[in-house]
Amino acid sequence: MSRPISRPAIVVALLKKELKAYSRDKIYLFLTLMVLVLIPILYTFMPDTVEEQISLAVSPPVSSMVEQARDTLAQMGVSDEQLAQLDEADLAEEQEGLLLVEFDNEEDMQQVVEGTLEAWRTDDGDLVLRDPDADEDKPENAEKLNLDIGIAFPADFITDVAAGQEGVTVTVYSDAAVPEEIQNAMTSFVREAAYQLAGRELPVNMADDESIVLGPDRAGDQVSLKDKLRPMLIFMVLLMETFSMASLVSTEVLQRTVTAVLVTPVKIGDFLLAKTIFGTVMSLGQGLIVLLLVGGLTAENWSLVMTVLLMGAMMFTGVALYVGAAGKDFMGQLFYTMLVTVPLLIPSFSVMFPGTAATWVRVIPTYPIIDTLVGAFNYGATWSDQAGSLAYAAVWLVILFGAGLFALKRKVESL
Amino acid sequence: MSPRLTWKVLRKDLALGPRSPLFLWAILLPFALTLILQVAFGSLFDPEPRLGIVDEGDSAITVEVERMEGIELTLLDDTEELKAQVEANDLDAGLILPTGFDRAVKDGEQPELQFFIGGESLASNRIILSVTAIDLVRELEGSEAPVTVEVVNYGEAGLPISVRLVPIVVFYALVIAGIFVPGSNLVEEKEQGTLMAMLVTPVRIGDVLGAKWLLGVLLSAAMAAVTLALNQALGSNYLEVFVVVLVAAGLSSMIGLLMGTFAKDSTIMFGMVKGLGIFLFAPTLFYIFPEWPQWIAKLFPLYWILEPIWRVSVMGGSISEVWVELTVAVGITVALVPLIALVARRVQAQMAAQ
Repeated sequence: MSRPISRPAIVVALLKKELKAYSRDKIYLFLTLMVLVLIPILYTFMPDTVEEQISLAVSPPVSSMVEQARDTLAQMGVSDEQLAQLDEADLAEEQEGLLLVEFDNEEDMQQVVEGTLEAWRTDDGDLVLRDPDADEDKPENAEKLNLDIGIAFPADFITDVAAGQEGVTVTVYSDAAVPEEIQNAMTSFVREAAYQLAGRELPVNMADDESIVLGPDRAGDQVSLKDKLRPMLIFMVLLMETFSMASLVSTEVLQRTVTAVLVTPVKIGDFLLAKTIFGTVMSLGQGLIVLLLVGGLTAENWSLVMTVLLMGAMMFTGVALYVGAAGKDFMGQLFYTMLVTVPLLIPSFSVMFPGTAATWVRVIPTYPIIDTLVGAFNYGATWSDQAGSLAYAAVWLVILFGAGLFALKRKVESL
Repeated sequence: MSPRLTWKVLRKDLALGPRSPLFLWAILLPFALTLILQVAFGSLFDPEPRLGIVDEGDSAITVEVERMEGIELTLLDDTEELKAQVEANDLDAGLILPTGFDRAVKDGEQPELQFFIGGESLASNRIILSVTAIDLVRELEGSEAPVTVEVVNYGEAGLPISVRLVPIVVFYALVIAGIFVPGSNLVEEKEQGTLMAMLVTPVRIGDVLGAKWLLGVLLSAAMAAVTLALNQALGSNYLEVFVVVLVAAGLSSMIGLLMGTFAKDSTIMFGMVKGLGIFLFAPTLFYIFPEWPQWIAKLFPLYWILEPIWRVSVMGGSISEVWVELTVAVGITVALVPLIALVARRVQAQMAAQ
């Protein structure tokens, strides 16, 4: 007479068996470890700033043009007040998104844009020019400037334009690789500066800056690629576990070891529960390891993040049970899993792009998971902000998880 | 090796192959990757400022923006929808042009310019769109600019990212159809015992390997050509493109055959492709980053087939420009033959011992 075994003890025994089978599957074990190592490394090297300024070379310096124009304009009868306004003109400060680098000499600027000369900015703010072909040492404590477009104003540009001289010409030097919209914008920029200097008012009224910016103004505080990638990488880790879990289930179905297990006191419910717990714990565990390595949890978002990670882990476990129930061989199972998971991966790419995801992307079951992760990590979203997404995710979780359990139960019963 | 028996094995593989999910992937992948890399990532790497316009009066400004290169224009009917899209960062900026706007500007009435900027738009896009909008309004006014602007360009315009991504898509077409399909096909024959069954007939191992190689060549050449066509990079010099694609298919299938001969089971085959993946993939990166030292790409075997495809098919060059690369590719292909024969003999001996 054998003593009765409790259900939890059976489930624990099944979990031990799962863990052993998992550790024997060398290829997925290797891939899992590789993902856990590579993802944080990849994350470390991602850019954590957003380049949102156009670097523009200018010759001669604005201050020198103003100085030169000063006397001439005074002689022309320009008032002291207008001259004072000219003194305060600082194009670089006025134009957000434009970084002005001023050159004394047009030829130097031309060569920098052409790429035959390098421009370096020292920590002290000085501009150092270097000939890359002359074996000169790189300047110390300096950063190389990427200047591929520059404007060469004539020395007496201000006075000529203000006096209404004809034939004033400004040259824009540009690397041919500079996008056309930037070249056009710089041309427009020069023209508008000339209109202003010539005293020709805008033919329209412009609203003030505050009223034309819609939504929170993130200029200078954009979400970096690194921050955008964080939810995506964690999501990918959750998804990766689908492959190994599907492989475990598939092998069990294919080799019919499940039938051997079910002649013991193990009931089909124990079997399904053990698979669910194992898949969810493995997926969630790996997600948490990566989350700890890449950071992002705060006192405000931890509960929301943990909840959505749990939902994601369960959702992918459901998918793995469904795919694994087909009981295909290694290659068949691998490509079947890919066929199912690739569409589920699409929403994670949508976070890389600005704006709202397309409607068809938002319908995909994994969208609310990634949407909540992005909201919690990058936009300080709260439970109430994400309530809709969480409810939608819960519906899909029930459907996918139910489908997985149902498919595997039917398969096991049919063996 | 008998051509007749090789053909028989190949015919069997062609008949049974489409049942494999790998075949399906080999065919679907170029389409999926073209969609993902060109449509999605193309706009990620080369984002254009996005401007929305609600034009209630057929303004000349809309016509001008439509003509401009480098600005993604969206025309909307509803001002609230425009503001919502700008706020949601679906657009970088929005412009509302009410009825009679053009006339009011020309008549010097100084109407209000209803121009909105998205809070999440990049500062550089803000400046491009606002300066462009103002310049267009000035143009509308009809007055002559007090300055002439000359643009002097240096160097050559860089290739758009959509073109630089082509080698990646072609690479995957070659790897899946040329390496994975024949390799896995051979491994499956070993796993399922059908290889041993075939070898007790007059079919020799050389016939089987020849058939698998031809299978890979046919499929990968077809998929590489389809990929190039999908990416509008097939070129017009079809005969020369055919030659470079065929050489590429020949080498990739030979690599697949070597892996398939060497691997004992599907898991090892998959592990080998995964493990060698970065080594095979590396040369494609040099097309995305042309500023990297290009000599490094030559250290990787698939460079010698990707470069001829790049120069002849994508860039429309002549085959005479790439004869060195083609010779090296054919040389590597031929050099792999004795290695495969050696491994195949060992496999045959192991099977005989069983």
